[in-house]
Amino acid sequence: MTRRVAVTGLGVVAPQGIGVPAFWDLLSHGRTATRGITFFDPAGLRSQIAAECDFDPAAHGLDPEQIARCDRYIQFALAAGEEAVRDSGLDLAVENPWRVAVSLGTAVGGTTRLEHDYVLVSERGKRWDVDHRQADPHLHRAFSPSTLASTVAERFEARGPVQTVSTGCTSGLDAVGYAFHTIEEGRADICITGASDSPISPITMACFDAIKATSPNNDDPAHASRPFDADRNGFVMGEGGAVLVLEELEHARARGARVYCEIGGYATYGNAYHMTGLTSAGLEMARAIEDALDQARLDRTAIDYVNAHGSGTLQNDRHETAAVKRALGEHAYDTPMSSIKSMVGHSLGAIGAIELVACALSLTHQVVPPTANYETPDPECDLDYVPRIARERKLNSVLSVGSGFGGFQSAVVLNLPREETR
Amino acid sequence: MSDRITVEELTELMKKSAGVTVSPEELRQGYDTGFDAFGIDSLALLGIVGELENRYGTPMPVDAEKSKTPQQFLELVNSVLLTEA
Amino acid sequence: MSGHPRRAAITGIGVVAPNGTSTDTFWKSTKEGISVLDRITREGCGHLPLRVAGEVRDFDPPALVEERYLVQTDRFTHFAMAAADQALEDAGLGRSDTDAAPFAVGVVTAAGSGGGEFGQRELQQLWDKGSRFVGPYQSIAWFYAASTGQISIRRGFKGPCGVVAADEAGGLDAVAHAARAVRRGTDVLVAGATEAPLAPYSMVCQLGYEELSTVDDPGRAYRPFTAAACGFVPAEGGAMLVVESEAAARDRDAAVRATVAGHAATFTGASRWEESRQGLAQAVLGALAEADCAPEDIDVVFADALGTPEADRAEALAIVDALGAHGRRVPVTAPKTGTGRSYAAAPVLDVAAAVLALEHGLIPPTPNVFDACHDLDLVTSRARAAELRTALVLSRGLMGSNSALVLRRGAGDAS
Repeated sequence: MTRRVAVTGLGVVAPQGIGVPAFWDLLSHGRTATRGITFFDPAGLRSQIAAECDFDPAAHGLDPEQIARCDRYIQFALAAGEEAVRDSGLDLAVENPWRVAVSLGTAVGGTTRLEHDYVLVSERGKRWDVDHRQADPHLHRAFSPSTLASTVAERFEARGPVQTVSTGCTSGLDAVGYAFHTIEEGRADICITGASDSPISPITMACFDAIKATSPNNDDPAHASRPFDADRNGFVMGEGGAVLVLEELEHARARGARVYCEIGGYATYGNAYHMTGLTSAGLEMARAIEDALDQARLDRTAIDYVNAHGSGTLQNDRHETAAVKRALGEHAYDTPMSSIKSMVGHSLGAIGAIELVACALSLTHQVVPPTANYETPDPECDLDYVPRIARERKLNSVLSVGSGFGGFQSAVVLNLPREETR
Repeated sequence: MSDRITVEELTELMKKSAGVTVSPEELRQGYDTGFDAFGIDSLALLGIVGELENRYGTPMPVDAEKSKTPQQFLELVNSVLLTEA
Repeated sequence: MSGHPRRAAITGIGVVAPNGTSTDTFWKSTKEGISVLDRITREGCGHLPLRVAGEVRDFDPPALVEERYLVQTDRFTHFAMAAADQALEDAGLGRSDTDAAPFAVGVVTAAGSGGGEFGQRELQQLWDKGSRFVGPYQSIAWFYAASTGQISIRRGFKGPCGVVAADEAGGLDAVAHAARAVRRGTDVLVAGATEAPLAPYSMVCQLGYEELSTVDDPGRAYRPFTAAACGFVPAEGGAMLVVESEAAARDRDAAVRATVAGHAATFTGASRWEESRQGLAQAVLGALAEADCAPEDIDVVFADALGTPEADRAEALAIVDALGAHGRRVPVTAPKTGTGRSYAAAPVLDVAAAVLALEHGLIPPTPNVFDACHDLDLVTSRARAAELRTALVLSRGLMGSNSALVLRRGAGDAS
């Protein structure tokens, strides 16, 4: 018998959207959280803007020891994890810990801490033979991203399979996809899953500067992230984290849990084309979408909303539009497709999980979030991008897609349980 | 350092920034064939442009990295360097 | 033939290890129990209080990897590309085979630390000279997904591509992930891990691991299961495997070297070694159950062998907890004491060694270990000949993961 996988808890730390209510308020009102960088002096950078979180770890229950030990991206995951587990109503103390898994994604992990300490041990880049005596005692925790899943697993006393997933900008979708498989295949009954990244640091901003991937709209940060708009010129860096509690459906029903939606299907393919480039045809992303639909046993016409990768680079927006048209056919023209990166920026590995939380909330509220800042159509991007204003719509099944450096193309289908369709 | 980028300098940059070894002679012969035939992609050209900007202390033309051929690229960047001179 | 059309087989092995940069040289050194642990020689590392490691010295990147990748990627990706090439060649899969069905071939790697040396160079450019001096390849060379992406692109593989950025145990999880992808319908996965953590700043980061050995004498620095256990020695290198559906291998008359019969993973908390006893035992029981394998059928155990007294004791007890009385009789080995632990790549090298051991009927020894102080039949000094059908590979991570993998010789049907 097939094991179905339910989403029973949500938690999020997003720019101007810390906690699910604030996050949904931001999205449903189409506000943008992008601004000039305040974390460090960005002078000299081409892109000096980002969507930053005004995050106070102490307000989220982290004690001083945890704050010192945990990198910012792990603090996000702990805070989002607390919210999601509380929201799920699960009492983990009575669950079998060996049946509780963790699968969390991150693209750049502890880079911000690694850079911070690098500056100290290298005398600001003067020495190759760095001086270890200046390093923070917790530095090793930033070295490997496995610290992310490990720390969250320790917090919730999970003893099942625990893994960190790092597939660049599809990390969030892939981490949830792996979690879905873990439960479907019977290796766990509960999985705390999602993703987190805090990449707003000089090295990460500089490395995207070097390839002109980020937007130089420094004069108008609030309107800088413009996916699908003819005047878009790159993505705006973001940060944040999101956690979803996944649970085997019967397990969730047996305890009377609220089921936001099911994970219907997940697939990922490589484009085998270029580390940063995308083809104009979108064949591989289309194939991931088709596979995810097959797993969900849904016809393509069943998709009511597409949550786009929508990073706001020219090549992405065209690639993705082509892929969705290829996979959904004529139905693509009748399907709203929006990018929340217009509001919360692109938090690299985290964003896929943040977008899945947005999808679950869309299904709950029967509202499609908009693409903020969308004003001028690009003739090559001719779908319905939900300009600026959220839209009420009957939603049973939604699709979230992502694409990342390394050629990763991933798709996740979320649907209301069939017996509850509207 | 001359105020014009020569074919020789471009081949040196292609090796340093992109790991592509082409002799100046080969590059001259393929002056108007695509960079892609030499294994130079957009990232490689971005690296070459960045290196030139740092070397000459002046911004290169917008979209120099989108040049399709060595000829197009050299004409574009040299137009800036000649103006500067 | 039993009815397992989508059983995952290992049909190719590629190794870039401190004790050999081909499968043949690796096996020769491994079975002879040669230790290659030595003083670290990489530039800028000599002053650090970590003196001994397993360096891959016999690796000539320009001979194995195209020049443009030498500029664009980190050493860990050079290793991965070279090992993937070897594994594919070993499996007899050339471009003409894989180009015909690009979606049927995927890549999955485990990565513990990414492109640290490359990243340090770019950090130096940024902080010494300015942001304009950061090159275009930092965005694709440093991150954990670099090797999976580059192998997929270089070889034209469009199948499922994944990265478990994991603990040491992640290396086994990557192999298991590949086996599950095969069961879900992909014909071939190139799976494994390589690491290159021996750059100055990466080493500074590792100094915080309390389990790290700082003993200066290469012969005494890494001696798990002995009274002199003083931690582990890090290493670079790794292995890539071709994991393929048994049916697909049979269709193209490829030799099935081993099958991935079972796997399970658990978590018991970072550095909580005493608790890893139960976690590891649970993982073993899970892997045995998936493999439909009785404890007495395990013919050899490739141990994690972390090398601290507490962790070694937990592992020795876990083996007996999971395998019962058989756990005291089954030969146990840890060839990684001769090469060091290359983090997520270490257990993949153990999988390679286990497949070779099954094929040769020979259990390689545990170099530098002569006086085991636990109730285990640890194979030391020299290789031991034995009839081997089934191997158990164990791994634990510094951040708390435990993983176990069961391998069966050949097509695994003859029993």
